[in-house]
Amino acid sequence: MQVDIAISNSALDSHPLLAAEDASEQTGAIVEFKGLVRREEAGIRIAALEYEAYQPMAENTMHRIAEDLGKTHACDRVVIVHRSGIVPVGEAAIIVRVCSKHRAESFALLTHFMDRLKQDVPIWKIRSIPLTEKPIPANIGKQSPGFSEVLAIVEAACQPLPTERFPLANAFGRVLRETITAPEDQPAFPRSAVDGVALRLDDRSEEFLIVDEIRAGDWRPRQLQLGEAVRISTGGAMPSEGLQVVMIEDVELADGRCRVKERSNETHIRVRGEDVRRGGTLLASGSSLTAGAISLLAGIGHIEPLVTRQPRIVHFTTGDELVSAQQTPGPGQIRDSNTPLVAAFFQQLGLTVAHHHLPENLAQANTALAHHATEIAAADILIFSGGASVGAHDHTPQLLHNLGFELKIHGTRLRPGKPLLFATSGPRLAFGLPGNPLAHFVGLIGFVRAAIAKLTAASTPKLQPAILASPLQAGGNTRETLWPASLSLRNGTLIAEPLRWSNSGDLATLAHTNGLILLAPGTGLLDQSTPVNVLACTQFP
Amino acid sequence: MRILFFGQLKTITGNPEIVLSFAAGGADELWRELIALHPGLAPMRPQVRLAQNGEFAASTARFNDTDEIALIPPVSGG
Repeated sequence: MQVDIAISNSALDSHPLLAAEDASEQTGAIVEFKGLVRREEAGIRIAALEYEAYQPMAENTMHRIAEDLGKTHACDRVVIVHRSGIVPVGEAAIIVRVCSKHRAESFALLTHFMDRLKQDVPIWKIRSIPLTEKPIPANIGKQSPGFSEVLAIVEAACQPLPTERFPLANAFGRVLRETITAPEDQPAFPRSAVDGVALRLDDRSEEFLIVDEIRAGDWRPRQLQLGEAVRISTGGAMPSEGLQVVMIEDVELADGRCRVKERSNETHIRVRGEDVRRGGTLLASGSSLTAGAISLLAGIGHIEPLVTRQPRIVHFTTGDELVSAQQTPGPGQIRDSNTPLVAAFFQQLGLTVAHHHLPENLAQANTALAHHATEIAAADILIFSGGASVGAHDHTPQLLHNLGFELKIHGTRLRPGKPLLFATSGPRLAFGLPGNPLAHFVGLIGFVRAAIAKLTAASTPKLQPAILASPLQAGGNTRETLWPASLSLRNGTLIAEPLRWSNSGDLATLAHTNGLILLAPGTGLLDQSTPVNVLACTQFP
Repeated sequence: MRILFFGQLKTITGNPEIVLSFAAGGADELWRELIALHPGLAPMRPQVRLAQNGEFAASTARFNDTDEIALIPPVSGG
């Protein structure tokens, strides 16, 4: 009897062991048992079950049981696949397939096998993930937070991620988590700063015999006698102490000799340790690895800098009205412009994101989340697009609750971005961004970016002073407002051109926005040249 | 000696596995050491079986420091 066994943490139906051809010419019966995860477990409605296996022993034990039963029930073949990890409702936790000449043997072996599995095979249901439908406790505080309060709550929840040694060639944009000091003086030996002729400082002759030529990379120490000079290139190692270099423009070279036309007191030598002394700081911990910083590290042979591990981000869109950008929306439908926005935002930060869509139905959304449980458990930041207002279909708070997150912010005093959500589960963060693109943008630039900076231990983006390029009629709104603007630098001053803004879904405005003007509640008409504080999307000096 | 905890035992000990220094002895000696480390295991003992190097251990089994021991609470596969 042939027995094949596997424990797998992905869907069993497509397991290769079950795709193989089972029937031999003797086979007259194939009996298959599939054990599914039910919606109800111990009277509680659940989204999924989590299984754990002591894998080698579980496999060996199943093998032994099958072999043992094969002695009394003559079968040709047994295939057993058992799931581990999180198994969503409706999926198989186990599939057993038995082939025999007649059906009675297969049925008998299968029945006995399942009984013994439930006694002796070290596999456990360790957790059921409930489909909770109880209301979220509304204990978030009476006064909704404004910009600085939201930022403070988000930043306080962020802990720097672990570090890793990462190959320098791919480390662009990473945040350095060690202080880099110079392993030796830079330059490590005195070099000529110019192209010219090296001669003794104490030799006041006018004509010299050229006794050597030193190029960059050569190493040819020698003591010069009076009347001797060495032709030397920029960067060439000085042959000895007590010399100066006369620039090539100030000498005449002919027949292996040189005549000095003009001689200044300048030595034109870059002395040892002139750039940085051995042990001196080259890069501080927390610096971003720019192209220049990478070049510097390469120069000192530091090929595996210690950097912050990249944050792992999972993005979910909600809302049944969304269709992808390549589709033509039907009546009442809109194209999903938020997924590309979120993707581009993280791309700018050098990060990749996993995107998933969630059905609007709460039970279906829970099941969909259970499918991504492993990814969710590993994520540092979850982003939910849409579903943050209080409409009947807006389940994000409930979904976050079901995932074990605690709501820290449920609504703000901001315009746009009033229905913003922020939740934490241990060190993991979740943001619920209001569905419209401008509010999305505010959430990403205002808060998600600050969270990423904290997680990676980079310097956090700050509000910057700017001058209004034209009058801004803010309309005296009672909420704190982040007004879209186009920022530019003019003679070293940051200039903010307020953009026309009619509603939060204004994509035409968004396309030109590279900054947000923070306006206090009640702000009315601001004249041209009024000083304001802005949050820049790209870095301005 | 490597000790593995599964199911609710992992919650009780707060650890999926520990390394225990164990000279030699039977199940009683081993349990005494384990309960001294994690008193929360005591009430579980009647339901927990010991596996030695991937096999259920007989009640007379002798254990030594090179064994991998797993504490197997009541199973619930399938």
